[in-house]
Amino acid sequence: MIASIAARLVGVVLALGAMIGAAQADQLADIKAKGVLVVGTKADYPPFGFRDASGGVIGIEPDLGAEIAKRLGVKLELVPVVSSNRMQFLQQGKIDLMIATMSDTPDRRKVVGFIEPLYYASGVAILANKKANIKTAADLKGKPVCAIQGAFYNNDLQSKYTGQDLIAFKAVAEAQQALLDGRCVGFVYDDAVLFWQKNSDEKRWAEFECLQLNEWPIVPWGIAVKLEERDGAWGKLVSETVTDWLKSGKLLEIEKKWVGSNSKWLVDASAKAKQ
Amino acid sequence: MTSLEACVRESKARISAAASGERFASAFTPTAAFVILVACAIPILTLEARAQLQSTVGTQSVLQSLIKWFPLILFGPPREFGGFALNIAVSFLAMALGTAVGIVLGLGQISIHRPLRNLAWALTQFFRNAPWLVLLFFVMLLTPFQIRLFGFSIPLPGWLKASVGLSLPIMANMSEIVRGAVNSIPTAQWESAESLAFTRLQTLWRIILPQCVRRMIPPWMNWYAILTMATPLISIVGVNDAMTLTQDALSAEQRTDLLMPMYSLLLALFFLYCYPIARWTLWLERKYAVKI
Repeated sequence: MIASIAARLVGVVLALGAMIGAAQADQLADIKAKGVLVVGTKADYPPFGFRDASGGVIGIEPDLGAEIAKRLGVKLELVPVVSSNRMQFLQQGKIDLMIATMSDTPDRRKVVGFIEPLYYASGVAILANKKANIKTAADLKGKPVCAIQGAFYNNDLQSKYTGQDLIAFKAVAEAQQALLDGRCVGFVYDDAVLFWQKNSDEKRWAEFECLQLNEWPIVPWGIAVKLEERDGAWGKLVSETVTDWLKSGKLLEIEKKWVGSNSKWLVDASAKAKQ
Repeated sequence: MTSLEACVRESKARISAAASGERFASAFTPTAAFVILVACAIPILTLEARAQLQSTVGTQSVLQSLIKWFPLILFGPPREFGGFALNIAVSFLAMALGTAVGIVLGLGQISIHRPLRNLAWALTQFFRNAPWLVLLFFVMLLTPFQIRLFGFSIPLPGWLKASVGLSLPIMANMSEIVRGAVNSIPTAQWESAESLAFTRLQTLWRIILPQCVRRMIPPWMNWYAILTMATPLISIVGVNDAMTLTQDALSAEQRTDLLMPMYSLLLALFFLYCYPIARWTLWLERKYAVKI
């Protein structure tokens, strides 16, 4: 008697297991079955993904995740990721989708499935004192400039323009303080972050202006899925969604909402998608 | 200054409660009160001074920002397990796991079977002398985020893996505590027990170990305090603990004047939790000291 019940239980368990196994083969169907889309975003990089005091993660990337969840008709769950674990989380299946400020490189393309078209790009900008009257990088010659340690453009900035006058800081907050204290004429950093800061605290930055430095290349960012899902139903759906966002101006709208202005790359990409 | 007053009042209340409780009478001396006061005052004094500097810029004062972020740092995001509460939970879990396995390993170290003894010794030495952060990374990267058992997916959350990672060094040190405590009991007791026809297991279980418990409690609590202070390590492996959330808050605010007050707040939290444990341990140590 007990043996037969146990045998039946095992049978049920195995059947359930087979069902789950079958569902896993198609991630899109799996997400719909779960009713939850799990998206990995940054939680320490405003305005893309950061915490508000109530604990939620907000910003451009959580908004994009919410758009996809809405399209699928499922709930959204956000998992904070950092650069060192984001690709691993995707491979392990801990997240279904990664929208985490990841720039597109050939090496990364071998590990995760980058979604075409790319959704964003970051360039270099400067938050400069208005009195310094800076228009291009050439105007920085012989002037003290603040930057962040380890940025790819530091070397170039130093050898071509500032020379000894480049002051590199560990954190954004420190560089900002130095700028406010007048220890440098401008702070060179990622464009979206600088425009966001300038626009979100006009009073604090009243004496400063923000402008794009076109001397350095624009690095495009990609949304990513598991490598084997890139050409599957799930990857295709995300790709179509990004195309729609570019066509409808949704990305421009979300960028405007958080950054306060639109970047040239996104304006151009949207115009190209409409054609 | 109101929060400073509140802090002083709380310390006073603590001390008087402790004094009336008598258990802590010897532990909470005026020196202890002073240390607690300093721990409370450091963050508040820095933020008061900074707040005055900051008032010209026109953003929120440091105190306002601290109050705004404090609930998040303490309890984590809503409907999620995180913050300082998670640090404490991880410390409990790692301690429970480490103690249970450590006792078995410690008894293995005093086994009369040589291979077993050598194996227990080797494991103990290995995990006692490995850096905690490296062990943590090992466990985090080695285990999947979910395991499949009979087709069911059982998720292994980050905090659970982190607890297992931190329990390994605790296990090894617990093993040494057990071995040391057993060896500290005079060998004459083993011989007398043998002469009274007790088996080895009976001697260990009914004579030796009951005496060991008292000796093991102070070092055990010491390790608990050390473990709790080590829990911010889990922020490096992507767990939403108090340290991660403090850093998230700092990057959301992007203000230099918040750096010191925020980290001081975190320091004060850990101090207020660990210091009483340290005092209590000291008190127990005195109480259980072997009097010759």
